[in-house]
Amino acid sequence: MSIAKKMTDLDTFLTYSVALEEEAAERHDELADMMDVHNNPEVAETFRKLAHYSRLHAGEIRDQAKGRDLPVIAPWDFGWEGMEGPETGDISDVNYLMTTGHALKIAMGNEQRAHDFYFEISKDSPDPDVRDIAAEFADEEKEHLELLEKWLENHPGSEDEAPYDPDPPHMPE
Amino acid sequence: MDQAVAPVTLAPKDYKSALKPVWCPGCGDFAVLNAITKALAFMGLPRENVALISGIGCSSRIAAYTSVYGFHGVHGRALALASGLKSARPDLNVLVAGGDGDGLSIGGNHFIHACRRNMDMTYIIMDNEVYGMTKGQASPTTAPDWADSKLTPHGTGIRPFQPAGLALTAGASFIARGFTGDPNGLAKILVAAIEHKGFSFVQALSPCPTFRPEQMQWKRHVKAFEAETTRNPIEAAQRIQADDGMSTGIIFRNEYPVFRPGSGIDKGMGAIESEFTI
Repeated sequence: MSIAKKMTDLDTFLTYSVALEEEAAERHDELADMMDVHNNPEVAETFRKLAHYSRLHAGEIRDQAKGRDLPVIAPWDFGWEGMEGPETGDISDVNYLMTTGHALKIAMGNEQRAHDFYFEISKDSPDPDVRDIAAEFADEEKEHLELLEKWLENHPGSEDEAPYDPDPPHMPE
Repeated sequence: MDQAVAPVTLAPKDYKSALKPVWCPGCGDFAVLNAITKALAFMGLPRENVALISGIGCSSRIAAYTSVYGFHGVHGRALALASGLKSARPDLNVLVAGGDGDGLSIGGNHFIHACRRNMDMTYIIMDNEVYGMTKGQASPTTAPDWADSKLTPHGTGIRPFQPAGLALTAGASFIARGFTGDPNGLAKILVAAIEHKGFSFVQALSPCPTFRPEQMQWKRHVKAFEAETTRNPIEAAQRIQADDGMSTGIIFRNEYPVFRPGSGIDKGMGAIESEFTI
């Protein structure tokens, strides 16, 4: 059964949406911490901003869910189509020498997957209320994607190239 | 008058400390930290009821990154320390973590005896098939033909340990394998491991992006074990032998007597002294 078909009521959908955004925020924070520790402050700040936006979005969804009794779902029972939520960046895609351009490319991939997730639900959920709100969320993700595209325009260049490491990991003689 | 105290609900982040991990960006060990904190939050364990003991190595730094009790011990001796702690404080949930070198080479003897002793604790080996902290030497789980270290320019030529097989042979009562690319799946395994009464062993496949960058492709090869968990050690052995080491899930689970001080033959000091009476 596709994940969209599982969205049979608004409470379930909102629980998934909050989890998706909060997991994305935590990952962005984690990536920011990695960059802080490895003295890449510019990219750390970028990931920190992305975490902030994900957290804002999660907060908005929580506000919408106020007064509702959202189900508790264990992290492994969401059954995301990948191994983590659709907006969660892959931890293995980062490098200590990455640029803001790389970080924004990763963020755009995350937003695209989040858009596709909501868009699929807006088409295939059996509940009309869920379909409506999922369509709104899909539009919001599309707006985020466009904002990131504009942000990326200010950081042209090396985002498609592997970072050059002039001092690669040292193997002892 | 006593006031009722509402139970505190902790989120995974509440089990993390304020320290930022110094692991390399992309390291699988981040996901082990996430999986542990998700498992503890799901189980609702109070932080003061959990202790995380570790050895030495990149992965063994994990004890400092949680807000539960922690002890960053000496190389290969995490299980010895944890056994002492569990003996003194059987009420604590004791987790033990470290790398493949710490657990299977320097601490190899402690590992096999911890398996057969079956004290109630959970041991996580974060397996990246390399000594990372000392800059990339072959470990007991490294393939014999890995030749990227200048110490072993033609590979070690030695067949690696199979941690799950070793644990089974040594008598472990719970054996599982998880993958750091699937932190939610790993968290689910950890919940089962912590709930298990006895010694639970979890091998976490945890890629090293710095010294084993080819491991970043593990995410394309990892799959779930097709068969259900078995309580039959012969079936478990066959499954482990037939596998390429990339299948995840709970392989083996059985109930064996759990060791705690006094649970074996305990004659008491009086009886022992009487044996020496002339």
